[in-house]
Amino acid sequence: MNNEAIIEKINAELKDKVQEAVAAAPRRINVKVDRKHLLAVLTFIKDQFRMSHLATITGVDLGEHFEVIYHLSNDAVTINVRILTPRLEPKIPSVCALIPGAILYERELQDMLGLVVENIPDPRRLLLCDDWPEGQYPLRKDWKFERPAEIIPGGK
Amino acid sequence: MAILKPILYILVYPGLIFLMVYSTFCEWFDRKLYARMQNRIGPLHTGRSGILQPVADIIKLFAKEDIVPEKADKGMFTALPVFALAIVCTAALYLPVWHYTEAASFISFPGDLIIVVYLLSLPTLIFFLAGWHSTNYFSAIGGVRVLTMLFGYEIPLLLALLSPAVLAGSWRLVEIAAFYQNHPLLMLVNVIGFFIAVIALQAKLERVPFDIPHAETEIVGGQFTEYSGKKLAFFRLLGDIEMVVGAGLISAVFLGGFPGGLLPGLAWFILKTLFIIFLLSVLRAATSRIRIDQMISFSWRWLAPLGVLQLFIVIIIKGNMS
Amino acid sequence: MEYKVSLGPQHPALHEAVSIRMTLDGEVIRDADLKLGYSHRGIEKLAEERSYVQNIYLTERICGICSHSHTTCFTQGVEQLMELVPARRGLYIRTLIAELERVHSHLLWLGVAGQEAGFESFFMYTWRDREVVMDILEWISGNRVHYAMNIFGGVRRDIDELQKKKILDSLGLLKQRTDYYLNLAASEPTFIGRLAGVGMLSKEQAVALCAVGPTLRASGVPMDVRKDDPYAVYAEIPFEVCTADSCDVLGRAVVRVKELIQSYNMIEYLLKNLPEGPFKVKAPRKVKPNEVYSRYEAPRGENVHYIKSNGSDKPERLKVRAPTLANYPATIAMLKSGFIADIPLIFAAIDPCICCAERLVQMDNAYSGESRVLTFSQLRAMANERSTKVNTKKKDIAWPF
Repeated sequence: MNNEAIIEKINAELKDKVQEAVAAAPRRINVKVDRKHLLAVLTFIKDQFRMSHLATITGVDLGEHFEVIYHLSNDAVTINVRILTPRLEPKIPSVCALIPGAILYERELQDMLGLVVENIPDPRRLLLCDDWPEGQYPLRKDWKFERPAEIIPGGK
Repeated sequence: MAILKPILYILVYPGLIFLMVYSTFCEWFDRKLYARMQNRIGPLHTGRSGILQPVADIIKLFAKEDIVPEKADKGMFTALPVFALAIVCTAALYLPVWHYTEAASFISFPGDLIIVVYLLSLPTLIFFLAGWHSTNYFSAIGGVRVLTMLFGYEIPLLLALLSPAVLAGSWRLVEIAAFYQNHPLLMLVNVIGFFIAVIALQAKLERVPFDIPHAETEIVGGQFTEYSGKKLAFFRLLGDIEMVVGAGLISAVFLGGFPGGLLPGLAWFILKTLFIIFLLSVLRAATSRIRIDQMISFSWRWLAPLGVLQLFIVIIIKGNMS
Repeated sequence: MEYKVSLGPQHPALHEAVSIRMTLDGEVIRDADLKLGYSHRGIEKLAEERSYVQNIYLTERICGICSHSHTTCFTQGVEQLMELVPARRGLYIRTLIAELERVHSHLLWLGVAGQEAGFESFFMYTWRDREVVMDILEWISGNRVHYAMNIFGGVRRDIDELQKKKILDSLGLLKQRTDYYLNLAASEPTFIGRLAGVGMLSKEQAVALCAVGPTLRASGVPMDVRKDDPYAVYAEIPFEVCTADSCDVLGRAVVRVKELIQSYNMIEYLLKNLPEGPFKVKAPRKVKPNEVYSRYEAPRGENVHYIKSNGSDKPERLKVRAPTLANYPATIAMLKSGFIADIPLIFAAIDPCICCAERLVQMDNAYSGESRVLTFSQLRAMANERSTKVNTKKKDIAWPF
């Protein structure tokens, strides 16, 4: 199925749930969804277009909102499903019930961006160390890291 | 004066000094051969083409810090390597060199084949104790694997070693060797037993494909994980001396021993043990490590029945002989 | 009697630091858990503060063995953002280096699999042949790893006739030796006994857990980014996707050896059909605000870069998902109900490149939100203090640390 056919199908079936579905490049389709319809849209895409491969989940800090993009692929196209969540209330639903392999990506989002993933099966930290302080989310734009001055033992 | 020969025997040849020197030479031979078979060079710089490398390794280990784990039993932890080395050196005394024509004495008496086999199986128990006393989970697994392997290879080894003894009609190493010197064609009867003994010796020495207990990529060092410094040096030396003694035992029983007194006996000893070590090296270079359950099923499915078959063959031939 | 044991972060079986925590019952593994974060370096955050050209340098250092895959994925993504069509000859050379990297990585993996299984001779032989490939790469690019060949619009160095001839000669040698390894892997009973039946991952599990690369293809699923979503010149080169049906480590080894043979054919095709012309074109410095999702088939699986630009010369967001991270859930599934002896093999079968999988910030001792620098002796004292406070007397503590 090429881009046009897929976009038509999505617009036909999911008209009320999908905000926008465009073709960004050959073999790439962007679908914008409201976060409460995320699971329904993902289930539809997975079943209809046989897209069972979730490559990764990207979180982007846009200032007022966080954008979370789910990249699904099959052997012909890639569909990027994106949702927006406000910065002050960063909650997204978990997709692990649908795609078990998403667990590590959701843990990374929780860890690095501070999003709260509801119903996540395993809420532990993924990458940061165990005694990393709460509330410090390195991938947010306002988290800056000042490199301390280098101390050379025995030198000046 | 009569006491001089036993003292020389115990301390010099084939006792401590000869064993230490010769076993480091054998380790060099094994390492060089293994390296050349893998298209590498092997030890090169220490001494003429690396011949002093094993000595250098032992000296380096002696110079390292000796760490004993906090909860381990200090006495046992220290005593075990020393015991093991002493046991294997004692086993070497029974090899039939240099007293080929003498009557029964404290170092050669009917039944000394059994004594040597027994002494060679004691280090396995000591490895288990070493792993146990290290209070480390990896060492405990290593120790348990050592004993599990013992259940695999010990019976085939015994069956294989006893068959030529049955044919020769004696349990005394000197007499077995003399028998096969006089009837060289009868060595061919024991071919199956020879190969079983070589494989079982490889398992006893814990070399590839049977280096399961101290499998480096799985359980770090097995029973040797916590040993360092002088104790580890003793364990390494133990491995080398055990290889020499095992090879000497197999040569004495299967290949007709080391006749001719002091110097020809020494030449035969070196020749025959190097042949066995060559076979062990080839086996080491050509195979990969197998799992413990595969090893046990291999031993009981193939080695033990072949050992029994060998015993049958020997009994039939002996019946025809007399 | 169940024990909890951790393999790592320091272990001879692991080439990088990762901690696998297992619950053992004798020699059988009942449960496994991966703890990541030991090689976490902060690349995604760092990439936001560097220009695009500096980021080529940065992404290359995500990994040593699959360095070219990261730079190519990044470069082709940014070329799409810049709406730049790279030079044809440059694309061919880029693909050539990619296939050479695949060859060297698979030969490395064969050696590592041999070493984990205890088959040291095999390890030595495959790494000896890998030296042939490394010499070719050094001849072309000047480096054995981190080839630094990519630039926006093409490649930085050209290949001349003498290099072409040398590569074709070496290919003949490599093909001969790879056939030998195929025979060896198929007929050496101790090796097969170690690899067969180990690390089973059924087709449904592999698809549900989103595995990638040879791990997925050895379970019979023919997903390969070079065929599904062709980038560079893969749409023009004839090749096949290699799969196996046995779903175990032996299947993965067979898939990799088959891919080696495919790669040799591809390299030959590329060299014989190298087009004339310039090997790079000039690229603009600033990039319009847009976003791109770039995929690449690294030796270990699907490598994914998501790049978002905001009109300046620095990217707004770079997200890298390396193939090893995608294979981790599959590894956990494979470790359960295996033996201890199989752990290194199972872990090695996904071809772990752990430094690829962890790219985020290295925290510099920000224990309470403020950063301070500790000297090494202070760190050591802190570690010792922590370990003395641990209560090892209670019998029901599973993880004292």
